Amino acid sequence: MIGSSSSVLARRISTTLSRNTLRLRVFSVLLSLVALTAVFTLTTTNFLTLENLKVIAFNASLLTVVACAESLVVITRNLDVSVGSIIGLAGFIAAKFASANPHAGPLIIVVAVGIGLVLGLVNGMAVAYGRVPSIVATLGTLSIFRGITYVAGRGIEVPSGNLPRWMIHGADATVLGVPLVVLFALLIVLVLAFLSRSVPILRRVYAVGSNPGAAVFYGLRANRVVLFAFAVCGALVGLAAFLYISRVGTITVNLGRDWEMMALAAVVLGGVSTTGGSGSILGVLFGALILSTIDNGLVLARAPEFWRMFIQGLAIVGAIALDAGIERRIKAIFRHQRY
Amino acid sequence: MKRTFVGYRWELVIAIMVILAGVWATTLSPYYFNVEQLLFSSRNLVFTGIMALGLTLIILTGEMDLSLPSILAVCTVLLAKASQASLPLPLALAGITVVALLLGAFNGLLVAKLRLPALAVTLGTMGAYRGLAFIIGSEVGYTGFNDTYKWLGSATVGASPVPVMLLVFIGAVFVFWVVMHFTTFGRRCYAIGNNASAVTYSGISVVRTKIGAYMVGALTAALGAWIFIGQFGSARGDNANSVILGVITSVVLGGVDINGGRGKVPGVVLSILFLWTLRNGMGLANIPGPIEQLIIGTLLVTGVLVSNFTGRGSFGSRPLKRASTGPLAP
Repeated sequence: MIGSSSSVLARRISTTLSRNTLRLRVFSVLLSLVALTAVFTLTTTNFLTLENLKVIAFNASLLTVVACAESLVVITRNLDVSVGSIIGLAGFIAAKFASANPHAGPLIIVVAVGIGLVLGLVNGMAVAYGRVPSIVATLGTLSIFRGITYVAGRGIEVPSGNLPRWMIHGADATVLGVPLVVLFALLIVLVLAFLSRSVPILRRVYAVGSNPGAAVFYGLRANRVVLFAFAVCGALVGLAAFLYISRVGTITVNLGRDWEMMALAAVVLGGVSTTGGSGSILGVLFGALILSTIDNGLVLARAPEFWRMFIQGLAIVGAIALDAGIERRIKAIFRHQRY
Repeated sequence: MKRTFVGYRWELVIAIMVILAGVWATTLSPYYFNVEQLLFSSRNLVFTGIMALGLTLIILTGEMDLSLPSILAVCTVLLAKASQASLPLPLALAGITVVALLLGAFNGLLVAKLRLPALAVTLGTMGAYRGLAFIIGSEVGYTGFNDTYKWLGSATVGASPVPVMLLVFIGAVFVFWVVMHFTTFGRRCYAIGNNASAVTYSGISVVRTKIGAYMVGALTAALGAWIFIGQFGSARGDNANSVILGVITSVVLGGVDINGGRGKVPGVVLSILFLWTLRNGMGLANIPGPIEQLIIGTLLVTGVLVSNFTGRGSFGSRPLKRASTGPLAP
C-alpha cells in the first residue's frame, strides 16, 4: 500500500490503519446484522427469544463451514462453484459407508473429509496446474461430481435410520443448551480465523490473491498456494457434508444441490472481495448469520416466500454496495496519507 | 487457406467435436440421424442459445451476469399477465422489452457505475429478480396463453418441420455476429475486456458501454421469454430456473475468455450446437440426465486442458504475469 521509500512512521500508521480497516469491514457486516436483528425484533413478537436464536444459529452452522471453505478459494482470486456437488458426493458416499459399516466410528468422518480433500485437489490441480479458469473448471466438476454421485447412488437413498446412533444423537445433542453442531462449526471457524492471521501458508493465500504477479516475483509458488486453498476448501466441505448427513432425514443423491450459490452469497455478504486478496473469516461467519437471520426473520414476519427471495437478493446487493463504499472511503484515507 | 483459419484454431477444434458428437450420436441411437428429429429437437437449444449470445457480449467486457434466467422468468410472468388481460401482443412485447432493459440497466449501473463485483451483484439480482417474478406471478403457473402469444415458440414454417424459433435463433446469431465483429459498440466491448483503463484514456465511456452490454443481454432474455412461453405453454416464477450454468458452459466452451476481451460468435454457436448434439443423442439413447451431465462436464474440463497443453494456450486463463495487471478499474 505504501511505497518502500516511506518512513517507519508512515509504515506504522499504515499498519494500524490497515488493522482498523479489517475491523471496520467486519464491523460493517456486523452492523447490518445488528440492524436486521433490530428490525425483526420490532416487527415480530418472538424473534429475539433464546429458542429462536438457537434455530438461527443451528441453520447457519453448516452454511458457515461451507462458506468459510469457499472464502479461502475466493481470497486466492478464484471461485469454486462445485462445493454443492462436493457435499453431495462426500456426504452420500460417507452415508453409504456408514450404513454398511455401522461400527466404523470416527472413520466415517475420515471418509467424508478424505473424499472432500480429493475432490478439492482435483479442482485445484485443474486450476493451478492445468491453467483452466476456476469458474470453468469447477463448473465442469460441478457436473462431474454430481454425475459420479448418481452413478454411485444407483437410485438408492440412505435413510438416516441406517446411520450409526452416535451420529444422529450427535446432531441433536446440546451442550449447556447450545446445539453441538453449532459449537463444532464455531470451533472450526474460530480456529480458521485465528490461523488465517498467523499461519504463513494462509497468509500466502492472501498474498497470491491480492497480487499474483507480485507473489510470484516475491518467490511464492503461487500454483501450490492455489492448490492448497482448493484442497482445504474441499476437506472442509467434506467435513460439512458429514455434519449435514447426520442432520437430514434421508440422504439422497441430490444432497447439497444449489449450496454453491448460498455459500457464495454468504462469502460476498461477509465482505470477501471477489477480486481476491481481502476478506476475513469472521466476516464470512457474520455473512452466513445474516442470510440465516433474513430467512428466519421473514418467516416470523409472515412475509410470503417470494418476498423473502426478493429481499434476500436485494440485501446481498445492498451489502456489497455498502462494503464497496467503505472500501473506497478507506482507499481515500490512504491516498490522503501518501501525499 | 491456412491463413483464413488463423485465429480460428479453437473454432476448428469444436467444429470437429460437433461432427464427432454427431457421428457418435448416430451410432448410439437409430432415431438420431433423421432430419425431422433434428429439426424438432433443435427447439431445445434456442432459448438458452439466445441467452448465451447475450451473455457472450457481457463476458467479453470482462463482466458476468448470472441473473439472465431470472430476467427471463420476470418476462414470462409479465407476458402471462398481459395475456390474461388480453392485451395485444405488440403492446405486451413492448412492455417486457422495457422491463428487461430496466433490469439489465440496473445490473449494469451497479457493476459499471458503482464498480461493484459483477459476479456478486448478479448473484444478488438473480435472487431478487426471481423473487420479483414470483411476486408478480404468484406461485401458480399460468397456461392459458392466447395463440398469438404462443406463435413464435410453437409454430413451424408453413408445412415444413422447420420451427420458426430456429430461424429466430439463426437471425440472432447473425445480428450478434455483426454487432460483435463489425460495429463500434462490439469492438468497444472487446477493447474493454482487454484493457479497460486504455479504453477510458482513449475517451470512450466504459460505463456506458458496459451498461449497454448488460441491456443487450437482458434483451436476449426477453426474447428467450417470448420463445419460452410458446415452447412450454406455461409461465411461472421458476421458469428457466437452473439453466445459467449450462449457458455459461456454452459460452466458455465456445472459446470466450472468462476474463473478457477474447472470443468469437462462431465459436459460441459451435459450442451450442455441440452441447445440443450430445444432449440430443444421449437423450435418444436413454442415457440418464446425470450421466449426460457427467460426460459434458468431463468434456468441458478436458477440452480446455487439452487445448492448454497442446497449443499456445489459445484458450483458458492468462499466465500469471498477465493476470497481475488484470482487473484494474479505471
